[in-house]
Amino acid sequence: MTAPFAEDTAERRVEATPLSHVSIELGHLYMEDYAEGRDHLRERFRQVAPWARTVRESLSETLPGRARISTCFLIDDYFSRFGSPAEVVPMVTEAAAESGLVVDYLARESGCARFGPVDLATLVLDRIVVDPAPGANGSRPPLTETGWLCNGQRGPETAHVEAMGAQPGWRPPVQNAKRRHSIFVDVELWDAPGGERVWSCPFLAAVWQLLRLGLLRYHGKAVAVPEEPGETFPAEWDALPPLLKLNPRAAPFAAYRTVSVLSSRFLPVELAVRTILGQVAVDLEVLRQVTERARAEGVPFEDELVDRVSYVFT
Amino acid sequence: MLIMGEVQTGLLRNLGELGEPKCREVLGLVSGEEPRTSMRPLPYAISPEQFTGVDCRLPGVSGARIRGTGTVAQHAVIVGGRVLQASAYATVVAGAADHRLPWSHYLARPGDIEVHGRPRWADMAEGFMAAEMPMDALNLSAIGGRLMAAVQESPHLDGKTPFKSTRTHLRWVLWRGEAGAPPLLLTLGKGSLRTLRLTGEPATDVTAFCEDLALHDWLLTTIQAIIQRALIGTAAPSQIAARLAPAIDHLMHLWMPGARVPDSYQHLWKELERRPGFSRQWASSVTRIRDQIAVNTLSLLSAAVMTESGHEPDGDISPHRGASQDDP
Repeated sequence: MTAPFAEDTAERRVEATPLSHVSIELGHLYMEDYAEGRDHLRERFRQVAPWARTVRESLSETLPGRARISTCFLIDDYFSRFGSPAEVVPMVTEAAAESGLVVDYLARESGCARFGPVDLATLVLDRIVVDPAPGANGSRPPLTETGWLCNGQRGPETAHVEAMGAQPGWRPPVQNAKRRHSIFVDVELWDAPGGERVWSCPFLAAVWQLLRLGLLRYHGKAVAVPEEPGETFPAEWDALPPLLKLNPRAAPFAAYRTVSVLSSRFLPVELAVRTILGQVAVDLEVLRQVTERARAEGVPFEDELVDRVSYVFT
Repeated sequence: MLIMGEVQTGLLRNLGELGEPKCREVLGLVSGEEPRTSMRPLPYAISPEQFTGVDCRLPGVSGARIRGTGTVAQHAVIVGGRVLQASAYATVVAGAADHRLPWSHYLARPGDIEVHGRPRWADMAEGFMAAEMPMDALNLSAIGGRLMAAVQESPHLDGKTPFKSTRTHLRWVLWRGEAGAPPLLLTLGKGSLRTLRLTGEPATDVTAFCEDLALHDWLLTTIQAIIQRALIGTAAPSQIAARLAPAIDHLMHLWMPGARVPDSYQHLWKELERRPGFSRQWASSVTRIRDQIAVNTLSLLSAAVMTESGHEPDGDISPHRGASQDDP
């Protein structure tokens, strides 16, 4: 029986987003890579291409129907700025095309900090549920160093002990979910050198993964809605929409799983990304929606967020 | 599987009743997430769910050391723009492993705590109902207390309360229970602690019932305290009326047992109405307050009439013959 009375503000509506099977990231470059010119860019995409093809092929074998695969590329315009979208965007898409790669979606890294009106980084920061150290029973607020996130218990502050004149007793940090031995990771999420918060590269990359997994909502609405590009690309990065749909026939941007084909130099960054992602509590309703759709489609699906994120390191 | 939780209930630190827009601001504890509000049958606002990670000893009467890892869910509720509740709860389930897994495993099931090793449900349920718990055991009280403080410290509140009241703690557990266990057993403990044992299939929508019960238990506790402080029979009628006024101004209209309780738990309210009879005690308290106010009104009327006719009031509170209530 349905209730005879309802109030709009009492209900929670969470928008669903279209989902591909896989989102493939076609490499990532620092600004200095762009500075090295077209040939360097071509070489980078040449390294990515065979792996992207392999991901496509292996996926097509495991899926019941036609595979929905979208590709994306993230341009770093947050930490340093190089050239203009009018120069850089065509350079990227052309260099990719020479290796047979189509960039379906192009995103700006500063869009991971603030996507249009949405303070996306803070939205994700507010959803972090800190990995509790053994013994954490709720009595005290979770032990956090402002702006840092780790996967265990930090060692004692030896500098302080030395200052007190005592023997500097070193105790190692401990990973909470260690397998016999610890791999302790402590990630800087942000700093504020000039008073204004600057998000770290791993934190923005974690937001990027969450966007690609279609798991973020702002007041129940999907956040990363791709925009069609105009006739020409603008001269200023800020004038470029944070997420562009370059290929009109592309499968949906967000996907059940993500694969990133990256240079091995990004390995430490991605370890940090996984440390962050492992501590993000995604909206229960969004989790439920995505899980149910995967099940209905017969797509193999992982419960844990970090298991939906995979890599090819070249 | 069992669910354990604690509801803390107290007066919102704000002199006036908080309107719906302000409630939304006060409970907007997570960016990008709206609190849910409704206006019927009385103003109600609930914050988005938040989680706290724990990895600790779980309660137990046997003294066995049972360890659990996972998250506690918590949310805050404002009823009638006046009463604040913090609700912290967790679903305790048999674990996937007898050792600590990566944290992402637990965050795939927000609100669950996984037991390492073989769970002893009865032991755990009773342990959670004990007035004293080991220092290192799961502390839902502290989690709820911090949430309560976070709301009370909101810059949208003026920090003042219109009258004194005590915060109550309702600790509850829901599980299938031992054979023959009653559907519910509410116990008023010492001080502000109440314990509630519920028998049934564990489902998290039971929190709505527990919060509703905690609210009404707090209303009863608070109105009783107001009546006691009024010193009926000792103090002057005007003083009594003044001391009873907060009950009329702030509490009486909030009594609506079962208003937000899912149908599947309505029978539990019926049970409580039968014995001890929550609404019976409330009605008797309300009658008592109204009688006292009536007595005071009459005494004022009587004084007014006496003064008008040149007589000194003699303390007789019966209305003066010939004076009608409409024409004092």
